[in-house]
Amino acid sequence: MSNLVLFQLRKSTVALSAISKLNKTHIEIQFNFKYLVGQLSQRLQSTSSQVVVRENTKREQKRVVPPNYRHIYPEFLPDPNMEFRNSVREKLERTDMINRRSRIEIPEFYVGSILAVTSSDEHAVGKTTKFVGICIKREFCGLRANFTLRNVVDNLGVEIKYEMYDPRLQRVQVLRLEKRLDSELLYLRDADPEFSTFPFDMDAEFLNEGAPVPVNPLKVNLRPPPWYARWERLQPKGAIIPELRGRRKEKSEKWLEKFSEPWEKYDLMKQYRKTIPEEEQDSIYSDIYSELHQMEIASKKLKRKKAFVKPKKTG
Amino acid sequence: MNQADVSRLVSKLKINVLPKHRRLTNPDGPKGRMFRMQKTVTALFKHERLEVTRNTADEARGYAERLISEAIRYGDKHNATMELADFWLLEKQLVHKLFKVLVPRFENYNISYTRCLPLTPTYPCTKTDQFPKSLLELRGNPYPPVMPKDPHNGSLLHNILLEEARKEMRQTQYLETAKSIGKEDKSAWVVNEKAEDSGSSSEDERKKD
Repeated sequence: MSNLVLFQLRKSTVALSAISKLNKTHIEIQFNFKYLVGQLSQRLQSTSSQVVVRENTKREQKRVVPPNYRHIYPEFLPDPNMEFRNSVREKLERTDMINRRSRIEIPEFYVGSILAVTSSDEHAVGKTTKFVGICIKREFCGLRANFTLRNVVDNLGVEIKYEMYDPRLQRVQVLRLEKRLDSELLYLRDADPEFSTFPFDMDAEFLNEGAPVPVNPLKVNLRPPPWYARWERLQPKGAIIPELRGRRKEKSEKWLEKFSEPWEKYDLMKQYRKTIPEEEQDSIYSDIYSELHQMEIASKKLKRKKAFVKPKKTG
Repeated sequence: MNQADVSRLVSKLKINVLPKHRRLTNPDGPKGRMFRMQKTVTALFKHERLEVTRNTADEARGYAERLISEAIRYGDKHNATMELADFWLLEKQLVHKLFKVLVPRFENYNISYTRCLPLTPTYPCTKTDQFPKSLLELRGNPYPPVMPKDPHNGSLLHNILLEEARKEMRQTQYLETAKSIGKEDKSAWVVNEKAEDSGSSSEDERKKD
């Protein structure tokens, strides 16, 4: 028994006697010294330090979900805005999305990829219409996820917004899978029409399995202003902004001086509020991983079967 | 509804994050707010315990936690994280402290890295005294703890001894009651009867009168 503990015991007896004197009670305290010592030693051994530290086993554990799922299936992640979160609705939506995906193959695509969408149309001749275009925008999440395709048809720019989980969609085919420098290509509206024209009878271009998605570093020439939006303020990476003149130039310089936030890339809380944390992402995708993986395997088998392309007559 | 940004991965913070940021009125606007956050985070890393106004403390807490979590995730060889630390920590020796001292300290934590406690309001001698203040500190700091440890913890020495004293007292009381069960004090009954008789006789006397 350490001297320190003995000293403490003696100290405490003094304290207790003082307390009893204060209370004016006559309590004969006869400590069972051996019992006390036993209790103390037991409790001192059992009380570990209060630091809440556990070995970080999360990263050591094997990942079930592949790390690129958040790029391939971004609409499964909910809206990061806390005011719109509802765990029950999200879970129900996920099951509905999986059910829809089991009926139709919705492929992996990005903003900048060229898609061909066949949808049912009551007013068309064969009750279906096909539209080919470049994906300029992907909005929303869950069952409301949509994408906009742009093309120039008969010198007229046409944009059609399709909902990914719309039951009227019959086929979504990716003709060219690629990414661009921006997450939105709305500046194509103010660019030369050649950058938005794609033939309707375009052939699908195949990528090797497992190859990374190529990034097209194309920089689009914008027509002179006025524009759909003030591109000189938004400064998209994939557009060459022509030199502005006169009042427009003054205004843009003033605005940039006043409102441009060079610290935005260091604003950690702004980033946090826009993203879903990794742990949540893992839990979401691990829920649906098995179904998605099975669908992927099935689609790969189909692709291998269809790999043979019929030779076309040239002469 | 918007899509979540998937270009970067972030670790979940173990603090309560409000849906929107606080503007924190500043004559320099958002730039001033950011500079104030930088100063607070720098001071927090330097001194490890600060007294700041409540809203500033809550905002700076988020940034401090995020900075530490990024440093833990990427380490000090990552260029982007070094740039981030360089931006946030205005004194450059604190960048070394972040990666060499704080990251090993907080690496295996599964709770928040900071603690934010409300402080009692002080008598308003200056203009800033009227605003409620908070104590913002890093866990594992070398100072004595602000919140006292639970005095009712049964494993503490004084509580063990007091418990034993209580047991002893109860033992003696039980012994006394056990002794008194066998020997019932019948004299007590007699006293009561006498008291009743005296009461009734007094009543009779009144009636007579």
